[in-house]
Amino acid sequence: MKRVGVFICHCGTNIAQAVDCEKVAQNAQAFPGVAFSTDYKYMCAEPGQDLIKKAISEHRLDRVVVASCSPRMHEPTFRKCLERAGLNPYLLEMANIREHCAWVHPDDKERATLKATELVRMAVAKVIQNEPLDRSTIPITKRALVIGGGIAGIQAALDIANAGHLVDIVEKEPSIGGRMAQIDKTFPTLDCSACILTPKMVEVANHPNVRLITYSEVEKVEGYVGNFEVTIRQKARSVDLSACTGCGLCTEKCPTKVPSEFEMEMMNRKAIYTPFPQAIPNKPVIDRENCRYFKTGKCGVCQKLCPAQAVDFTQEDQLVTERYGAIVVATGFDLFDDSVYGEYGYGRYKDVITGLHFERLVNASGPTMGKIKRPSDGQEPKNVVFIKCVGSRDEAKGKAYCSKTCCMYTAKHATLVREKIKDSNVYVFYMDVRTPGKGYEEFYTRTTDQYGAKYLRGRVSKIYEKGGKLIVRGEDTLLGRQIEIEADMVVLATAMVAKENAAELAQMIGFSYDQDNFYTEAHPKLAPVETHTAGVFLAGACQGPKDIPDSVAQASAAAVKVCGLLSKERMETEPTISIVNEAICAGCGMCVTVCPYKAIELKFIQERVDGKVINRRVASVNSGLCQGCGACTVACRSAALNLKHFTNEQILAEVDALCL
Amino acid sequence: MNEITNKMRKIAGEILQKGEASVVIGWEKGTFWYLSPPAFIDKVEDVDRLVWDDFCHNNLSKYLVDFKYKEEKVAIFVKGCDSRAFNRLLQDKQIEREKVILIGIPCPGLKDQDQAKTLGKEGDIPKAEKCLECKYPNPLVYDYYLGEKEELDEVAATKEAPNYSDVEAIEAMSPDERYEFWTKQYDRCIRCYACRNVCPACNCRECVFDQTCVGWIGKANNSSENQFFALTRAMHVAGRCIECGECERACPMDIPIMLLNKKIIKDINELFGEYDAGIDVDSKLPLGHFDKSDPEEFM
Amino acid sequence: MSVKDMQENWEPKILVFACNWCTYAGADLAGLSRLQYPPNIRILRVPCSGRVNPQFVLRAFQRGIDGVLVAGCHPGDCHYVTGNYFTRRRYLLMQRLLQYVGIDPERFQARWISGSEGPKFQQVVTEITEEIKAMGPNRKMRDV
Repeated sequence: MKRVGVFICHCGTNIAQAVDCEKVAQNAQAFPGVAFSTDYKYMCAEPGQDLIKKAISEHRLDRVVVASCSPRMHEPTFRKCLERAGLNPYLLEMANIREHCAWVHPDDKERATLKATELVRMAVAKVIQNEPLDRSTIPITKRALVIGGGIAGIQAALDIANAGHLVDIVEKEPSIGGRMAQIDKTFPTLDCSACILTPKMVEVANHPNVRLITYSEVEKVEGYVGNFEVTIRQKARSVDLSACTGCGLCTEKCPTKVPSEFEMEMMNRKAIYTPFPQAIPNKPVIDRENCRYFKTGKCGVCQKLCPAQAVDFTQEDQLVTERYGAIVVATGFDLFDDSVYGEYGYGRYKDVITGLHFERLVNASGPTMGKIKRPSDGQEPKNVVFIKCVGSRDEAKGKAYCSKTCCMYTAKHATLVREKIKDSNVYVFYMDVRTPGKGYEEFYTRTTDQYGAKYLRGRVSKIYEKGGKLIVRGEDTLLGRQIEIEADMVVLATAMVAKENAAELAQMIGFSYDQDNFYTEAHPKLAPVETHTAGVFLAGACQGPKDIPDSVAQASAAAVKVCGLLSKERMETEPTISIVNEAICAGCGMCVTVCPYKAIELKFIQERVDGKVINRRVASVNSGLCQGCGACTVACRSAALNLKHFTNEQILAEVDALCL
Repeated sequence: MNEITNKMRKIAGEILQKGEASVVIGWEKGTFWYLSPPAFIDKVEDVDRLVWDDFCHNNLSKYLVDFKYKEEKVAIFVKGCDSRAFNRLLQDKQIEREKVILIGIPCPGLKDQDQAKTLGKEGDIPKAEKCLECKYPNPLVYDYYLGEKEELDEVAATKEAPNYSDVEAIEAMSPDERYEFWTKQYDRCIRCYACRNVCPACNCRECVFDQTCVGWIGKANNSSENQFFALTRAMHVAGRCIECGECERACPMDIPIMLLNKKIIKDINELFGEYDAGIDVDSKLPLGHFDKSDPEEFM
Repeated sequence: MSVKDMQENWEPKILVFACNWCTYAGADLAGLSRLQYPPNIRILRVPCSGRVNPQFVLRAFQRGIDGVLVAGCHPGDCHYVTGNYFTRRRYLLMQRLLQYVGIDPERFQARWISGSEGPKFQQVVTEITEEIKAMGPNRKMRDV
């Protein structure tokens, strides 16, 4: 007979005010197998755990049920408690009487108590069926993968590399650098963005532990924490990176002009190009969609002229498969499509631009060499209007969330306009000004007080063109009046949105994303850089709108998590995996087809049948690969497969106990 | 004596003579004129026991499972449904293609043995119900073929569109009527497992209903447990049932087991696209794979 | 208590198979957000909705459960990558089969509830409880 101890937690008053904990403990005494039952104010606290340990030894308990909060919260705590008391940690079951009972049934103590009692009865029935399980260990591949070579990816890679681990960065563009490379200055210090980014780019590129895999995308991810198997598509660059010296002659002579993505299409690049002067690798790539040779078969000027003979039109995409112990996802963000707001005329009026356009306009190496000129006629704008929350905080047309960075970059833009164009007027339409961050509020105050940007609280209802001017019609809600401003240029503080293919990548790797396709952290407070998939971490704006310091901080945090993993030779694996009863297994292989981890193989075992030795095909589970989902157990008709800790018997014991 | 029977005996004799196979599985005449049970012929002198007539119902492929670990080759006669069962067993890795010699017979449809019993030898015995709706009367896979090639087309012409009117009749009932109908059926079940034993889709090494240690399969013969058995078995053969109707024929209590199987076949076709079990060896089991665009009803 | 009283005071019992990663977390979130729902459901935690064997569902009906809900991550979001796609296929068939043998459709349901859908969890279990309450106790398939 098993000896189960039942421990009912009050969780202060969290549980106790909705559930009669004492009564639940009394009721539990009567359940088959229960040798001891009690309730206590805080089971998870030191005295609570001591109580459990003491009861285990005094009452010779061999199974424990803790009825408290969600096992997703404290299962590890109580498992450790059992271990300290000399019991196998898997001889614990938890009944969730807080999240699933007390908190959702606050007004009916009688029925909540009944429900709590039944939840405990289920847990007791299950724990009686539990078996001691031992964790095993598997070797770890000591190399990390960082997906995305923006500032978050660069920082994460550098931190991992500096800790002595190998790391690969996969970047889909021809150069690392990401969005930060496009930005002119950073708030609140007005440092030159390139000046602080490019040294990091160089550092990461030259780091002996880092390998850059640019112009490449992750195509398939298999495996699991410690041993991911990642297939990377290296897109045909058409330039042999090892031969190319980066002299730039090809770019210079290329006859085809294409609007530059980096310059927000306000300037042209060539069909063979480096995206920006400080690109790394600083070697060109051929944009095959626009290249004359690829379109018509004629041209080939670059190839003819290249002194290093590095241009190779025959290059093809290459698929390489690498193994990694951990993955950092740092894929960044896209910009909201402002044309959704027809009233602002974005896309219709050349001088209505996004914040990122403005960054390029004000940048010394940008299309205007840093002189602010409006796109339509190159005139210096005197009246500049900024509109905030374009796409953000607008459930009807845009996104419900706040993009977090816009208040500050708009203040920065306003400052820059006032600094560069002394006789300019700057108007900022806003809903709220949000400046949490070190030095942020001070910066905003300077923008209004020192630089004289005029902040108007209200929304813009319409922008239209009249006599070469943009008439911005809006409301100043503080003064309660309609206003019209004759603007030369309008800058929209565009929302940050998840990357277009964000969901696809998350599905490929196997972690979750929210309704806006931003990646979901494992816990909003206590696990902000982890995902629910072990070994996969998040950095930067792919997890939600973020500015540079937040992205960098998160990247370093993710790096620490990766280092924690890679610093071990082997890692413990959960013992809650599938097992095969070879005596029953018919070797049909149905389990093999449903296993998402390729953890099941068919093997032959030798057996004596009718005096003869035969080879019989049976399923075999690779304990290093199995993640314990249990798909195979249902695929198997004869129940030859079972999932440890969630066995058929255990689940049915719960079903039976709850139906009593 | 029909021509096919002659050919059967001839080819079986040759195969055994040459030692190509150690046993030939066919049909022979049984206790009554309307029964043609399986025959396992391993001696040349026994080949004259083999027959082909209107009552060769047994799906012989099922018996290949018994020869899974034998070294010698087995020769077997297959109708359309036997050949589908053969393909299914291949897919379930229960047999190896090269260890079996398949001798195909085009099947014009067999006769109902219960009716035969009632009507007598001279009566006008109708076709078995399962044969009326047969989509694949011809063997889909074989090494030797006993009919004329033209016969294949002729037999294939009998192929009809699937008829689910019997399933639809039940679907049209109210939930309570349906429950009453099925309770009446399965209250008769004596848990003899004849349906399972004769079924080529039931090819487990140890059936879950025979296991003693699991404790999650009730063995009691009562209404609830019998329904549990029926539904569990229906789910286990989902995507595997090749509609040979042997379960129903073997059932001593006349339970319309195919009505459950056909319901699942109908739903598989409606939900996951056209699928007939045992036609294409490379096809995947409907419950062994998925499509991301499968119907979404669990929103 | 008279028979009539018992009938009037009858409360259904509903079993929810919840996958650990989405629906169980969604139920936790409902708790954290203090979203109230009727105390009729009992959650049974499984690693993945793909772990739920149809035989478990049948067994629950045999033992007298009034309703069963199988719930897991939305397709594409499965913690185990593909588990719920198999769940979807299996229970699309199973649902139809159960109805075919006379189980009322309300009594067996499947839903996708993610870890962030606390309100959806509340709404789904409230609806199911109300539906089943209106129908009365389940006597079908019951092993008595």
